[in-house]
Order: sequence, then structure tokens, then C-alpha cells
Amino acid sequence: MTILPSQFEIHPSSGVPIYRQVIEQVRAFLLGGHLQVGEMLPSVRQMASELGVNPMTISKAYARLEVEGVVERVRGKGMMIKLQTTSGNVKQRQSELSSAVRSAILRGRQLGLSDQQILHVVNKFLKENPQ
Amino acid sequence: MIQTSTEPVIEIQALEKRFGKENVLQGIDLSIEPGQVVGLIGTNGSGKTTLIKCLLGLLRKSGGCSKVFGVDSWDLAELQKSRLGYVSQEFAILPWMKVEAMCDYTGAFYEKWEYHLVRRLLREWNLNGDKRVGALSVGQRQKLAVILAMGHRPELLILDEPVASLDPVARRQFLQSLIEFTEQDKNTILFSTHITSDLERVASHLAMLKQGRIAYFGELESLKDRCKRLRIFSDQPLPKDFAIPGAIHCEINENHALAAIPDFNYETVSQISSRWNVQVQVEDLNLEEIFLELNGIRSETNDAEAN
Repeated sequence: MTILPSQFEIHPSSGVPIYRQVIEQVRAFLLGGHLQVGEMLPSVRQMASELGVNPMTISKAYARLEVEGVVERVRGKGMMIKLQTTSGNVKQRQSELSSAVRSAILRGRQLGLSDQQILHVVNKFLKENPQ
Repeated sequence: MIQTSTEPVIEIQALEKRFGKENVLQGIDLSIEPGQVVGLIGTNGSGKTTLIKCLLGLLRKSGGCSKVFGVDSWDLAELQKSRLGYVSQEFAILPWMKVEAMCDYTGAFYEKWEYHLVRRLLREWNLNGDKRVGALSVGQRQKLAVILAMGHRPELLILDEPVASLDPVARRQFLQSLIEFTEQDKNTILFSTHITSDLERVASHLAMLKQGRIAYFGELESLKDRCKRLRIFSDQPLPKDFAIPGAIHCEINENHALAAIPDFNYETVSQISSRWNVQVQVEDLNLEEIFLELNGIRSETNDAEAN
């Protein structure tokens, strides 16, 4: 089972840069178990022509995934999945998390919750999902 | 790693063009490197066509410098011209010729001409080779012009609003052939358009013309990363001196404010929220919204009022 370009859902006019959409969806495929270690991502050319976007944009997404250690460039073959989820140093992974936390906290503020009250909710979920 | 030359394909410095008293181009600086796909946008009359014509030596500049493949635009010779393809807005054709004959006729001017490529494109774009050119619709003529500009496999394509008259199907096919064109690493495209969603698909870079100058040039995706809308909520009415540094505009409405900023980062947001004790929501903007914001028009439609 490998991923096909048609399984990506790209919205060029959404405001989210296309390379970010690609990165996020590769991550989602990984988390969802649709991509396994050792499997290949579609080639830049396939992706660009089937999704109708600039090849440089796809290359950029793949290069980022490579820097983050999610994929590995295999000579003459393309991009291979290297790691399952836990990748990058702590700082990178924290920044990955920060936007989700930010919007959760904003929501908490909108609901008029105090620091303590928000932390209480966070701690509850931390307890429910031990390391 | 192979060392690649990064000599710009197009180099423009302080380019000026005046028509009588009208200063259309007022000091354009633009450098386009091999492999870039640059979308040129700007409001009507902002100087896109004039810029392209000066670049190709079809109009004489009033000042500054403009080069293509390292040669002054006014002195472009056969060699440089054989390396570029151009589609203008006013495409001159010979109405009595049949489409296929028109292709062969154009091909005769070039040393190498890709008959196979041209035939394939005619087929893919549903252009009947037996039809007289004069009987083609505006959109079909535009398709033919684009095909003719690609027949000699140029390294540089310059397209002045190539898709204005194309239907969505043809536009998509056109974009597809541009993407195919860019599979050759060093192939470069400069194209002007008003259709920002097309740009979002194929452009790697964006050049925005405003009042005769380049208001923005850079990677399209990093523009989207940086240009954001902030929605600000406060428990109390916002103070009179409430302001966001660097904002393109900021609209204050009692407890809310709406601002567009060109250089977003999370630090700015936390500074704003701690300094004024407000909540800040960050929203992504697409290219059309960014274009409107940068041209001083608020992009947001007020949903509450519309309902």
C-alpha cells in the first residue's frame, strides 16, 4: 500500500501555503497508519502534474520533511518514509504543537477561564494520556 | 553537488518608462533567476504590459537598465530571441491561414521546431488544425498563440495575460502545460494575470506592481506565511491609541479590531496580547485577499451584515 497523489487534497487558494498542506497531509497519513516506514512518497513530478501545482512547491515540502527526519532521500528512487511520528528535536516538536495549544488556550479565554482553570483541563488530559 | 550558475535570466534595474507626461514605470528593480515561475500582478494600468514590452525591447525605455539573458533588451539578437517565447495581448495572426499551416509557417522562422509537441498540444487543447485562423474564437486564438510560443522549446516564456479569455477547462490545460514546461529545471516563466488562483498553483514567485514600482517580489509561499489577518478581541473598548506596529491597515470597532500585517510572527502576537490585554486570532489569507490588502482595499466581507 502506498500513497497516490490523488489522495492528497490540495486547496491552492486556501491561504495555507501549498507546501504546508502537503507536509501536514504526509504527517496525517503517517499518524493514520496509511504510510509505513520504508514506503515511498509519490515523485515530485507525479505530485506536481496530478495536483496541478508547481514542482518547486512539492520539492520544498519534501525537503522540509527530510530536514525534519520524516523522510529520507534515496538516490534514484525518491523519498522514503524514515520515521514514525517522533522526529525532529524537542524544539521542533514543540513548535509543531504550539498552534494547537494556542487555539485551545484562546478558546479557553473566550470561555472566560482563568490560568488555573485552563491548566486543570490540560493536566486532566495529560493524566489520561500518560507518556 | 553540481555548481549551478545563478546568472539571472531577467535583470531590471531602476527601469523607467514615460509616455509624454505620464510616468508608467518609476524605477523597477527585478531580478529573475533560471527556474523561477514569476507571476506578475497589479491593478489595471499599473504598468504590467509596459514592463513586459520594455523587457522585450518592443518599447524603448526612458531610463534605467533591462537585460534578458545578459543582453540589453533593446539589443536582443536572434540568438536570445530563439531562447524565448512571448504571448502578447494583441496577438497578430493571418486570418486566411489554417491552424496547422500557421504552426508550420511560424516554425519556419526557427532553427529547431518541435512539430510533435505542437501537434500534441493542438490535439490536447482541442484546436482543429484544418480550421481557418480567422474563424477561431478569442479563447481559441489565445490557445494557438500559447502553442506557437512554445513550439521552439524556449527556455524563457513571457506571457501577457495568456488566460484572460480561456474557459476553466482550457485554463487548467494551460496550467498543466506550464507545469510540464517547468519540469525542465532551468526553464523560466514570467506571466501577468488577474487570476490569482492560477498563480497560486503554478507560480514560485510573485511580483506585484503598484504605481509603477515593484511593491513586492519574493516567494509566493513565504508571502502567504507572512501576510496574515489578526482579529482582536478585548473585554473593554479598545483605547484610542491602540495600534499595531507595521499593520497595513487596522480597523477598530469598540471591543474588536481587525488588522492585516505583512510580517507575521508569533512574537508580535504575544506582544500585542500582553501589551493591550487582548485575545488575538490569526487568520490565513489567500493571494487574492493579500493582493486586495496590499492595494489598500479591505478584503474581508462582513458576514454579519450580509446575513
